[in-house]
Amino acid sequence: MKRLLMAFVLTTAPLLVHTAQAQPADTLIVLRAIDADNYDPVRSTARSAGEALEMMTDTLTSVDWDMKTIKPGLAKSWTVSPDGKLYTFKLRDDVTFCDGRKMTADDVAYSLNRLADPATKSPVRWRAGQVKEIRAVDPTTVEYELNQPSSELLFQLSLFFAGIVDKHSVETLGANFGVQGFNGTGPFCWSSWTPRSELVLTKHEGYNWGPPIFKNPAPQVGKVIWKVIPDDNTRLAALQSGQGDVTQYIPYFALDGLKKTPGIHMSNQPNYFWDYFLGFKINKPVVDVAVIRQAMVMAVNRAAIAKAVFFGAADPADSYLNPGTLDYDPKSKALLPAYDPAVARKLLDDAGWKVGPDNVREKDGVRASFTLYGLNDPSFNRATEAMQADLRRIGVEMKIQLWDATIGWGKLATQDFDAFVMSYPYVSAGDALNLYFNSANTPTPNRMNWKDADTDKWLLEARTAVDPEVRKVALANVQEQLTEANVWIPLVREQLWLASSKRTIGARAHGLYGIGIYKGLDISLAK
Amino acid sequence: MRRLLRDWLAVLALAVVVLSVLAALGAPLIPGDPYDNDLSMSMQPPSAEHWLGADDQGRDMVVRVIYGLRLTLLMGAVSVVAGGGIGTALGLFAAFYRRIDGLVMRCMDVLLSFPAILFGLAIAAIAGPGVTAVILALTVATIPLAARIVRGVAVGEMARDYIEAARATGLRDSRLIVKHLLPNCFSALSVWATLRFGQVILLGAALSFVGLGAQPPTAELGAMAAAGRNFLFFAPHIAIIPSVAIFVIVLAFNVLGDALRDLLDPRLRNLGD
Repeated sequence: MKRLLMAFVLTTAPLLVHTAQAQPADTLIVLRAIDADNYDPVRSTARSAGEALEMMTDTLTSVDWDMKTIKPGLAKSWTVSPDGKLYTFKLRDDVTFCDGRKMTADDVAYSLNRLADPATKSPVRWRAGQVKEIRAVDPTTVEYELNQPSSELLFQLSLFFAGIVDKHSVETLGANFGVQGFNGTGPFCWSSWTPRSELVLTKHEGYNWGPPIFKNPAPQVGKVIWKVIPDDNTRLAALQSGQGDVTQYIPYFALDGLKKTPGIHMSNQPNYFWDYFLGFKINKPVVDVAVIRQAMVMAVNRAAIAKAVFFGAADPADSYLNPGTLDYDPKSKALLPAYDPAVARKLLDDAGWKVGPDNVREKDGVRASFTLYGLNDPSFNRATEAMQADLRRIGVEMKIQLWDATIGWGKLATQDFDAFVMSYPYVSAGDALNLYFNSANTPTPNRMNWKDADTDKWLLEARTAVDPEVRKVALANVQEQLTEANVWIPLVREQLWLASSKRTIGARAHGLYGIGIYKGLDISLAK
Repeated sequence: MRRLLRDWLAVLALAVVVLSVLAALGAPLIPGDPYDNDLSMSMQPPSAEHWLGADDQGRDMVVRVIYGLRLTLLMGAVSVVAGGGIGTALGLFAAFYRRIDGLVMRCMDVLLSFPAILFGLAIAAIAGPGVTAVILALTVATIPLAARIVRGVAVGEMARDYIEAARATGLRDSRLIVKHLLPNCFSALSVWATLRFGQVILLGAALSFVGLGAQPPTAELGAMAAAGRNFLFFAPHIAIIPSVAIFVIVLAFNVLGDALRDLLDPRLRNLGD
């Protein structure tokens, strides 16, 4: 019955859209759920900013479809000094900005210094490493000198935060750079932006320097419109009615049906790193008790949540990081307590936490109750409710408080809660672990208040490692330590699917920092 | 009362109200936990095991609706009693002490100019969303309505001879208000309260629907309808069942309120005869 209804919806949804218009032949319409507040690479951490910026800028390096291999970008080649502190990039000499001006090493040095400069106040400045100096040696050579090695620098320089921008445009537009205009070297150029409605990009004429991971070094469409449609069902109907060409914002409930819909092509990226987890503030009452955290990890049925809450569009997480991630430690997987509520109850009984009259456990007058914060989103809503019921079954009370995103991030930076739920993208083990478990990153993004000398030592070792094997061992130590301490309940790993319409050819899901289309150079439209 | 019982629609509405109240009061006695989930039963349609189906968390909808009704009625009752009580007092004072009449009623006009949803938003922004925020918003929104009704009736009563006679006997103001003025406002107040109860339930459900009211996993009819709207196409029972429950209970209170008005208003009674 459910399938029949879903089939009905998917087949009739296009009819609901009364203005099924033929789209311009050379215009790719990308549908998405939300807009960004600005499109300045160093001022936004939002995926919604990144997905357009990947098209408007280029980076020195790129990442292959396996999400592990670094490939050239604007840099044709590079060398790293033996001490890992000096990177020398040789640039392409055929690159121009959208305004036609030739890009030189000065532009690269300017853009990366802008990211690394404390005065810019970029929230992602740390990704640039401990920069000593970034300088243009000649028009096609850039030297990136660090105070200490940064073992993942090439990964970080592939992200949109390190996109190369035009100094003149930045200085002319000031705070309105990325709001009223943009000048980059990417395959598409800024045309117009109507916030919360659409961002229009036009083909960068002469662009022929796309990353080698694409079959085509040049864009195949004349125009790209990033159209915002917040409502899931409307967005779905727009895709099926041909009012949109491609989207990665597929509601979980519709994924199965969409896969079976004629005329819709689905592309999946198996190496996609966007995880959901529940984190504990490990120095707050109740959740500071190791046995309670261990019992809670055992009580949450991740497989059932993946199936019922995410409709199978996410995989249950059985470790802190995705096994496909660079420097993933397979040993830590075995350390994560398996789902077993009966054993969880016994653990708590043995530890002296007795079930009280209201079915919540108590010990020495302390109730096993804590408060969880998160952002108000349908997935978090349903996942936290499911976890709440799982925890209630072992006698632990989890009070849920989900906030609107406008104030939620502020609330999540406080110490007013005991646990939180979140989802996040990452590019490697080092990326994820340095972000969340570095003691310098408390109270946010290290919302766990995890301050451990060993962790800091290993993270520093990994960050500054010149030998990848040293980095791998150090990060494995961190993964094992955290898993044994049960600082998180890893929940699910989101799958990345890119749905494209009948006329769209060559749409392939990439997924760097959660961005499905990446540069979209292979996407063309049937005539 | 016999007159009321002759109106079959009113009897039906009364039955619905009584049954709802009984179900709400007896909720803890029914087997089943409104918060006990079974994700393997997620979104199951009505069946022998789950008469009204299961929600997205695999919780039994019968149990959830009964508990939801309990909270919905509680929110309505507290708001109408508290808001009605404060409004009644203000209305009586305004009618009795005419020198403060203008001030009190202008304050009520100011309160009336804000929709209840706006109160809900403001209170939720300060205190955080929840049942308390909804009750506060509905109470505040109810005060000026009660004050206006009571003041209108009381001003008319103040011109009656029995008030003058009571004054002449030297009764204290407080006694005069409580023993003489207030009872004579009861009939209008009871009709208004019954009608208001239905409105308040609807408003409370609306506030919960937009996320300002009951928070997960609390069973509340508006919040349940909101949770189900995302699955309308393939599990319509999750949204439809609590919505129907809201519709029926609000309709019942409205019909009952109308019947009471017909019964208690002598002018309408004559028209009917």
